[in-house]
Amino acid sequence: MNLILLTFLPLAGAVLLLLTPAGSVKVQRTIALVTTSAVAVLGVMLFGNFDGISATAQYLSEAPWFQLAGKEQPIDVWFRLGVDGISILLVSLTAILMPLVVLSAQVHIDKRVKEFFFWLLLMETGMLGVFLALDLILFYFFWELSLIPLYFILGIWGGERRLYATMKFFLYTVAGSLLMMLGVIWLTYQTGESDVRALMTLASGIEPTVQLWIFASFAIGFAIKVPVLPFHTWLADAHTEAPTSGSVVLAGVLLKMGTYGLLRFGVGMFPAAALEAAPLFMGLGAVGICYGAFLAMAQTDIKRLVACSSVSHLGFVVMGIFALTEAGLVGSVLQMVNHGLSTGLLFLLVGMIYERRHTRELSQYGGIARVMPLFAFFFVVSVLASMGLPGLNGFVGEYLILLGSFQASPLWATVGVSGIVFGAVYLLMATRKLLFGALTVEANENLKDLDFRETFILVPLVGLCLWIGVAPNSFIHKTSGSIDAVMLRIETARDMRTTSSAFNAPPDAPATVAASHHEQP
Amino acid sequence: MIALLDITALDAADLRGAAPMLAVTCGILLALAAEIVPALRPARGLAFLGSLVAAIFLEVQLIAAPAGEIFSGAFGATASASLFGLLCATSAIIAWAYSLRYYKLEAPYKGEHDALILCATLGMLIMCGALDLLTFFVGLELLSVPLYALAAFRRARRDSVEAGLRYFLLGAFAAGLFLFGAALLYASSGTLSLAGLRAASLDAPLALMGGALVISSLFFKVSVFPFHLWVPDVYQGSPTPVTTFMATGTKAAGFAFLFQVAFLMPAGAAALTGALAVATMAVGNLAALVQTDLKRLFAFSAVAHAGTLLLGVAALAAGDPVASGPLDAALYYMGAYIFTAGGAFGLVALMESEDERFLKLDALRGLGRRRPGLAAALSLFMLSLGGFPLTGGFLGKYFIFASALRADLLLFSVLGILLSVVALGYYLRVVMTLWMLPAEEGAPLLESKLLSGRLVTWLCTVMVLALGLAPGWFLERFF
Repeated sequence: MNLILLTFLPLAGAVLLLLTPAGSVKVQRTIALVTTSAVAVLGVMLFGNFDGISATAQYLSEAPWFQLAGKEQPIDVWFRLGVDGISILLVSLTAILMPLVVLSAQVHIDKRVKEFFFWLLLMETGMLGVFLALDLILFYFFWELSLIPLYFILGIWGGERRLYATMKFFLYTVAGSLLMMLGVIWLTYQTGESDVRALMTLASGIEPTVQLWIFASFAIGFAIKVPVLPFHTWLADAHTEAPTSGSVVLAGVLLKMGTYGLLRFGVGMFPAAALEAAPLFMGLGAVGICYGAFLAMAQTDIKRLVACSSVSHLGFVVMGIFALTEAGLVGSVLQMVNHGLSTGLLFLLVGMIYERRHTRELSQYGGIARVMPLFAFFFVVSVLASMGLPGLNGFVGEYLILLGSFQASPLWATVGVSGIVFGAVYLLMATRKLLFGALTVEANENLKDLDFRETFILVPLVGLCLWIGVAPNSFIHKTSGSIDAVMLRIETARDMRTTSSAFNAPPDAPATVAASHHEQP
Repeated sequence: MIALLDITALDAADLRGAAPMLAVTCGILLALAAEIVPALRPARGLAFLGSLVAAIFLEVQLIAAPAGEIFSGAFGATASASLFGLLCATSAIIAWAYSLRYYKLEAPYKGEHDALILCATLGMLIMCGALDLLTFFVGLELLSVPLYALAAFRRARRDSVEAGLRYFLLGAFAAGLFLFGAALLYASSGTLSLAGLRAASLDAPLALMGGALVISSLFFKVSVFPFHLWVPDVYQGSPTPVTTFMATGTKAAGFAFLFQVAFLMPAGAAALTGALAVATMAVGNLAALVQTDLKRLFAFSAVAHAGTLLLGVAALAAGDPVASGPLDAALYYMGAYIFTAGGAFGLVALMESEDERFLKLDALRGLGRRRPGLAAALSLFMLSLGGFPLTGGFLGKYFIFASALRADLLLFSVLGILLSVVALGYYLRVVMTLWMLPAEEGAPLLESKLLSGRLVTWLCTVMVLALGLAPGWFLERFF
């Protein structure tokens, strides 16, 4: 299994697309579908062969790239890809989601098809690269690379206010990533290393206050991407204006880059700083859960509602990561996948109904379960998965996160739990308004139910939801080795913290001695 | 005293070090000869290109094996000076390739145009390696005087003549500043060579004053706030190929010498330089944000880039612990900038040469549909100017900010980074106009069949990507 093949196969497909004549839409769709399907097969194989017990990066492919100026000797920057327990689930999720996105784009992307698939494939390379890169500089390259395609997808195929949304999205994320660049510069310079694996140990050798600053620069960049509470405003606009396929990728994978970064580079690299910042982030996460839910309750646009629910669900992930407990971390990694599946499903379903009626106003619907029973079935399953009903995927993740958070902070865990209740409120309300009751709007009477293609898109995702819900261990086991390694670093930092706070007394002592000297005469 | 050059004392090293300049000189003579002898006229392009390519080739050799100080220490053919020289010669080629069919009324005088560009290039080469204030001044004037003429080259157009006059008046003023500063430095230390000045104590008010004047005149040439006011009008009014040359070549030569004379700044000036750098970025980026004319937008962007480069000078003054860091960073930045800005201004020249009008940003609407290749190249240049990864502009920016951070200029780095977010605001507006806005009814096709323009656009595109993706290749060979 070669990760370079996995990462750059979409890019090769994108280049191939450029060579096709403009009119041959069928050929272009086929190229996109074949490429993403091939990547999906590779992704599933990778998941199957991955050894979850080991904490080391597997399937390493590396080559020297260039050198940066360093303290004593130059810093070697490597082109290095590898997969470990933190990235494996997200890599597989990305690989599986993309062919479904390509399929879903068949109807609603009817202009500039070639360009669309070009950007979509380029984005897949960028996202896979972000999760697989094991060199900090390379990570940053991929991080920025994944930004451009969404900028175009939003800006060209988006809704009416797309230009505003795309600019807002881009400037928000770029501001975050440029601040992160300063962190990258300083971290590589201080340690003389850009290998992510080596940095895991080297980073804790940096002076604590400097660590805190570097952590902050990373955390802001990732928090904007997630988005964590005060930065969330770009998300609703971006989702509302994005075409369905763009929303699915955005919610399914791109936002996970933020939480993934918080976990690997925030907590994994700077456990000491993460311990300092944990109360803040847990609080932001917990408040985000409720705030997102309240926002969602107030929406009348069903897509905006799903977008706001993203803020709420990602609040869980952030809270779980910064609980800094084993259950919290495992739950967060799992919940990243869960959110990708259930929110992806919801966006796909919303897109399917939008393609039929060209409105997303909830008041325009009602009672369509009668005319679209299959749609209603999938919608209800997705809503239940999103709510965290036992037996479906959301339950496992949220349960683990709440368990882990309760160990760390009962207060925020309690706030988080109440978020589940609010979540049930807006999701069930939306379901009732959309599916049940009387068929009041005439235009809805002749709606066609899902066709074969649409069902084919939804079935694998629903299957995965069920699989994770029933047998979560087959997924959790893949992450255990790496999560243990992160936990070990957190525990070490925690011990250091307690001992150093015990040591804090001596530096005070001379001061008191000096003070007493002053008092003596 | 200034040692006068003794022709008989020249040795092989002198010749080797001066070879690029001699090649360009030959080019000037051939270009002028072609004007006198009509039969030679078709060979003019060959002479121009040949001399510059030869100069580039010789500079590459000098980078591998520097000739060191030549002409009794008046000129330093060091690796970094040669690399700066290489960049200047490249920028001349880029500007020239876009100028081939740019002129209509002035076409008969194209020979003068080419000879003047070669003269200015020679001036740049001298500026890049000057180790003596007087040598530098010769180079400066050799650069400036042809550029005054070139700026006013479209003599039938008011804005071109105005640009030339404006550039001349302010440039003459800056030259005066430089000479006065050099005189003060000479009065206080008795020497004009940089080595001598480095050895002398420059704490006397007279010397401080002199240093400040010299630095200010350089700030004028590279358009640093508050000496940037001439830039938008001159850049906009000048013929676009000349603007291309000014924005890239002059900046490279100016910064090459600015790094040489950064020691003239008193201790503690690093903070002032950093503040000026941030102010330059702020002025350039904020003003560019509201421009609707493409050339003017790029002009303000050029000011902002001077600010970023100045941050490198500030890092040098503040003492980057990696001694070669700031200069290397500036070289890489400049290398990427030559191709990026060269390509961006050049494409403007390519698009506007079809008729006589300024290119409004709106004229680019929907260009992505009609001319995807051109739009893709321009978008790539925009991303590189904005410092986006995968492009050379990113690594240049990365190196500069890394150097500034190492030199403890944290505040200026953070402010600079935030200002580059502002910069992306307008670079992306160009990209947005190209791809996301529908074309206006009856918009001109902006077609250009200029082969040399296309070739150089390809060259710039490939170089921008190569500098962004395979930096190791360049860092090993040229640094």
